[in-house]
Amino acid sequence: MRGRRAALGFAFLIAVIAAVTAFYFTGMQTSSHQVVRLRGSGATFPQPQLEAWMQEFMKAHPNVEVEYSGVGSGAGQEQFFNGLTDFCGSDPPLTHEVWVKHRGEVLQIPYVLGAVTVVYNLPELSGDEHLNVSGEVLALMYSGQIKYWDDPRILALNPALKDVLPHREVVAVHRSDASGTTQIFTTFLHSSAPTQWPDRLVGKTIDWPVDSTGRGIGGKGNAGVTAVVVNTEYSIGYVEWSYAIKNRLRVAAVLNREGKPVLPSMKSIQEAASQSLTSGLIPLDPREDFSKELQAIVNPPGDGSYPITSFSHIIIWTNYTDRGKQEALREFIMWIMKEGRNYMVPGYAPVPQQIAEIGFKAAEILASP
Amino acid sequence: MRFGKPVGKSDKLFYLSLMPFAALILATFTLIFIALVKESIPIFLKEGPRFILSATWAPSERSPSEEFYGVLAPIIGTLITSGVAIVIALPVALALTVFLEEFIPPNIKGVLSGLVDVMAGLPTVLYGLWGAYVLAPFLKTYVLATLHKGLSWLPLFSCTPATPYTLLTAGVLLSIMVTPFLTSLTREAYELVPYTYREAALSLGLTRSEYITLLLSLIRPAVTAASLLSLGRAVGETIAVSMTVGNSFALTTCLLSPGYTVSSLIANQFSNAGFYRYMTSALYGAGLALLLTGLGLNLVGLKIMSEWRSGLHG
Repeated sequence: MRGRRAALGFAFLIAVIAAVTAFYFTGMQTSSHQVVRLRGSGATFPQPQLEAWMQEFMKAHPNVEVEYSGVGSGAGQEQFFNGLTDFCGSDPPLTHEVWVKHRGEVLQIPYVLGAVTVVYNLPELSGDEHLNVSGEVLALMYSGQIKYWDDPRILALNPALKDVLPHREVVAVHRSDASGTTQIFTTFLHSSAPTQWPDRLVGKTIDWPVDSTGRGIGGKGNAGVTAVVVNTEYSIGYVEWSYAIKNRLRVAAVLNREGKPVLPSMKSIQEAASQSLTSGLIPLDPREDFSKELQAIVNPPGDGSYPITSFSHIIIWTNYTDRGKQEALREFIMWIMKEGRNYMVPGYAPVPQQIAEIGFKAAEILASP
Repeated sequence: MRFGKPVGKSDKLFYLSLMPFAALILATFTLIFIALVKESIPIFLKEGPRFILSATWAPSERSPSEEFYGVLAPIIGTLITSGVAIVIALPVALALTVFLEEFIPPNIKGVLSGLVDVMAGLPTVLYGLWGAYVLAPFLKTYVLATLHKGLSWLPLFSCTPATPYTLLTAGVLLSIMVTPFLTSLTREAYELVPYTYREAALSLGLTRSEYITLLLSLIRPAVTAASLLSLGRAVGETIAVSMTVGNSFALTTCLLSPGYTVSSLIANQFSNAGFYRYMTSALYGAGLALLLTGLGLNLVGLKIMSEWRSGLHG
């Protein structure tokens, strides 16, 4: 009796193992049928948008699998140039030195627009009011020279809030990790207030002057800055637009080059991108040097431009040894430029048509043998 | 108790089979130490003692010669936060030890000490979240301003608290985190006091408070050692501190100001340090300083502890 039972159990076990194995291998065979896998890594800022696009793209192209991991622009570039990934997502374009080194081998495609928003925690302000700030006021806050919220320089920009802004200390919140967001924000401060915010205070991580006054706080990542601003009354900070939307933070209007206070919106960001082209600093060819691009898009002309706008880039090789990969990448880039605008995630904006042409040109280059 | 040299054949085999594992630990430690020293050489060559003695942290993307890193602020911040942690945690841990050992029926004691052990094992990021969202706003509303008002003549409390994220906040959170660990060490020591001592004390007719004072004085070296070990933990804590300390390069001795610690500095900046020529080296240098501090504390702690053990049991 017992022996029979054991034999039955054993047979069952064998059957299961056989079934699973068979299933596994047939599955493998059908799925390995010409599937191209693209691997990318880099900036975390466009990740929600990029992932939404990857999902839609893969639905339309079942033969391509795209993976992306958010490791930061710097690490993304390193992994790409070390051959670990097929493409790189980077907020800043390649620096001039790196571009020269890989001239002709790499293509840079500005593929999505984002904005850095100024957020604040002022319990006194009601829901329908918003703060206006200028680059100069922000520079003075982050250098510790504006100490209180009722400072005349803040009041001058906010006549409607004259009786609302309190005599409380300003807490300036910044990133504690190196970040493209900080680079964009400090580039804006320097561009709009060069005397108050000198060149040496521009970068991905800087020596914040406000820290020495005890009113500066660092938060790690957009999430860290968001948490500090939410928990600290009378604080001001800067985060990517999508974070401000997701966390329902209060967003300030920023004075642009023409002196107009502008809130971030799809329209004001795209306006900034279109205006940035007038500077002539942005080449219209993916093979060219984009290293001066940030100077063009930050604080651009135009009444309706939101001044702290930026591009994010995909960086790829002009030639891949695996032709399948090259073709899949070409399809992916074409798809983003053509269809991407139909699948936008709140907090991002599609690039204007002239910029999209850079992507089409890149696709052309990839298609040529 | 210690075994002599391996005698039999099987003994020797046993000894040989264990040796690689012991060697592995030692080798790992040596490799870490060598890596830290090797990687931090460039920053010491570039800046010399100013690396430790200056409080400016100025990365530069324009040219490597403009980069300058000084880790004095995080080093002082580390000492302050972990110091605050021990100053708060030690009395709490001792009180808890005596309470658990002397005043509570055994069944409740089991539940309570189990709870303490669970707390010791919680992931630190949970403490960090709780610290950032609950503890910090609470301290800001009810404690920081009061301390400043009442004790502003003390340099420790002289600055106006503008933010909930301060050296004190991180210190208090750390004290909550190390208390369970410290308690289990002091409890172990308390329980190790031989019964002959206890019986002798009781037979002399000591009151309960005299008896407890006597027992505590007997375990004093163990308490010192346990405090040093806990201090080592507080020094090395990363995530929870980084979420509450403010991550601000302020060279200050005021507890109500935001600050930095070495561990949170490394956690914050390591991932993108590759953008700069010297930052990676500077972070390794800071890590070396941390390792040496932690090593020193642990060595002293372990030495006191082992001396005490051999003293008790002769």
